[in-house]
Amino acid sequence: MMAVRLRAVVALAALLVLVSMGCSAKKKGAAAGGAGGGLGEEGLGTGSSLERYKQGTLGTGEQGPLKDIHFAFDSADLDEQARTILRDNANWLKDHSKAKVEIEGHCDERGTVEYNLALGTKRAGAAKEYLVALGVPADRLTTISYGEELPLCHEHNEECWQQNRRVHFVVLGE
Amino acid sequence: MRRLWLLLAGMNVVMMAGLRASDAQVRGTIFGPGARSYPIAISPLRNLSGSSVAGDFGTQFADIVSADLNLSGFFKILDRAAYIEKPETSGYTADNINFDNWSVIGALALAKGAYSVSGDNVTAEVRLFDVYQRRQLAGVRYHGSLGELRRMANKFADEIMKQFTGERGPFDTRFAFVSTRDGKFKDVYVMSPDGGDLQQVTKTQTINVSPSWSPDSRLLLYTSYKGGNPNLYAIDLVSGRDVLISSRPGLNLGGRFSPDGSKIALTIEDKGNADIAIIDRGGDLLRRVTDSWAIDVSPTWSPDGRRLAFTSNRSGGPQIYVVGVDGGEPRRVTFTGTYNTSPAWSPKGDLIAYVSRADGGFNLFTVKVDGSDTRQLTQAAGNNEDPSWAPDNRYIVFSSSRTGRKKLFVTDLTGSSQVQLTRGGGDDSTPAWSRWLE
Repeated sequence: MMAVRLRAVVALAALLVLVSMGCSAKKKGAAAGGAGGGLGEEGLGTGSSLERYKQGTLGTGEQGPLKDIHFAFDSADLDEQARTILRDNANWLKDHSKAKVEIEGHCDERGTVEYNLALGTKRAGAAKEYLVALGVPADRLTTISYGEELPLCHEHNEECWQQNRRVHFVVLGE
Repeated sequence: MRRLWLLLAGMNVVMMAGLRASDAQVRGTIFGPGARSYPIAISPLRNLSGSSVAGDFGTQFADIVSADLNLSGFFKILDRAAYIEKPETSGYTADNINFDNWSVIGALALAKGAYSVSGDNVTAEVRLFDVYQRRQLAGVRYHGSLGELRRMANKFADEIMKQFTGERGPFDTRFAFVSTRDGKFKDVYVMSPDGGDLQQVTKTQTINVSPSWSPDSRLLLYTSYKGGNPNLYAIDLVSGRDVLISSRPGLNLGGRFSPDGSKIALTIEDKGNADIAIIDRGGDLLRRVTDSWAIDVSPTWSPDGRRLAFTSNRSGGPQIYVVGVDGGEPRRVTFTGTYNTSPAWSPKGDLIAYVSRADGGFNLFTVKVDGSDTRQLTQAAGNNEDPSWAPDNRYIVFSSSRTGRKKLFVTDLTGSSQVQLTRGGGDDSTPAWSRWLE
């Protein structure tokens, strides 16, 4: 028990070091919050969407261990498919009990910038609420909205919009 | 942050001849903002300095006035190539102008003038004439630095508008907007209404959204992800000082100064949901205005500072509501359409401009504050969004994708005069029209 707690403290200290190195690491183009921050290793799809957009890797590469969920236009309701994915994500989080996750809310390009930022907040909040209801501790989950600012797909059609109306999960550390 | 060029002081303006607006004679011509009918000649100013140090000051002055008046939709700017009187050799007072040379090319109004340069200083005398009556309607002497050219020209365009419409024009102002013209990031820019003097305000390699002006047109509020979280900042365009105003967890979005400049309304996040709050200039919470389960976003002040209009989806889809700044039950304003956002309260207080999902895209509308008299300003041409009012209450700047990428346009309140303002690469969006610069 002591060993486990000690290891947690060491992990936390390591995380703090990584966070404090965040500024310089970002300038070098390493994935923020990725496994090897200061060493210049690329986290495999685990950077935030904003970091990946800066690197030019948004919309490419690996999804990470947690799958995106999708929404109808102007909706933050979780459909059955979204709930199924969230149950899988909750199970993964239970198996990786030290993992913290940032939940990103995104929208398609239609509608206004500010409303979509608010809608993205609502989507991220709905996902968080469901994960908490499934037993994931709320203090492991943070949310952020990117509204319509970080689309995965840039065409102006429903197929594209559907991909962009998403909640994305970024694992911040395990 | 490099110092941004914003001229708020030092320029000296003298009205040379006080004449009543009603003196301008409009004969047999439909005169209105959409008519684009009143023929005016804008002659380059004559250089009296005897040297070419001033460069093209006189031509640039005429170019800027022409661009401004073109935005207004009132005037037909006559082609300079047709002018018979050459600016460098002809007179510029009522006694010395051969008005026949202007009536023969169809001009009903004429702007002429002269300038002289001494070191970095310039004195410009500019006059507006009624060609038919062969007399001066207005005259202004400007004295300032050469760098104040654009403001002098914008002020003169405002004066021309005043002479012909009875109300000052909206051109001695600036636009703030976001653009991706410098790459993939949205950065904040400012620009003169004539399209000139473009300056990049942020260069942060991150997302910046929703710029808006302080009432004195000196500060810009904007929301940036440069600190990770979407926080509210205020940048001083004169000193370049950039200050973090609000960094509450989650959204700190769409800050709008109250009309007296003492407070800021913005969207904050509470329990995973967006609500409207009012903070002081230092960022401290003064009060929550809304506290609902629904999305409440995009506050805009009534000109008396007593009410806010905002977007809420409390009835299902987003609609425009009005609420007192002390809270209370919001009153719904829009009942036409299922998706209405981006309210902008007019400077005179009578109208709210907003965006509605209609006709297969997004279009600009206005509605009276009591919810009556809904009018559509744009239709069937791309998405038309992000309305912001001119301080004279007669024009709205907005973004439109009608030509492909999003660009800025200016419309009158009927929609009959819609003029494209920006061109080139990237998307230009969320424009904010400042108040007059004094």
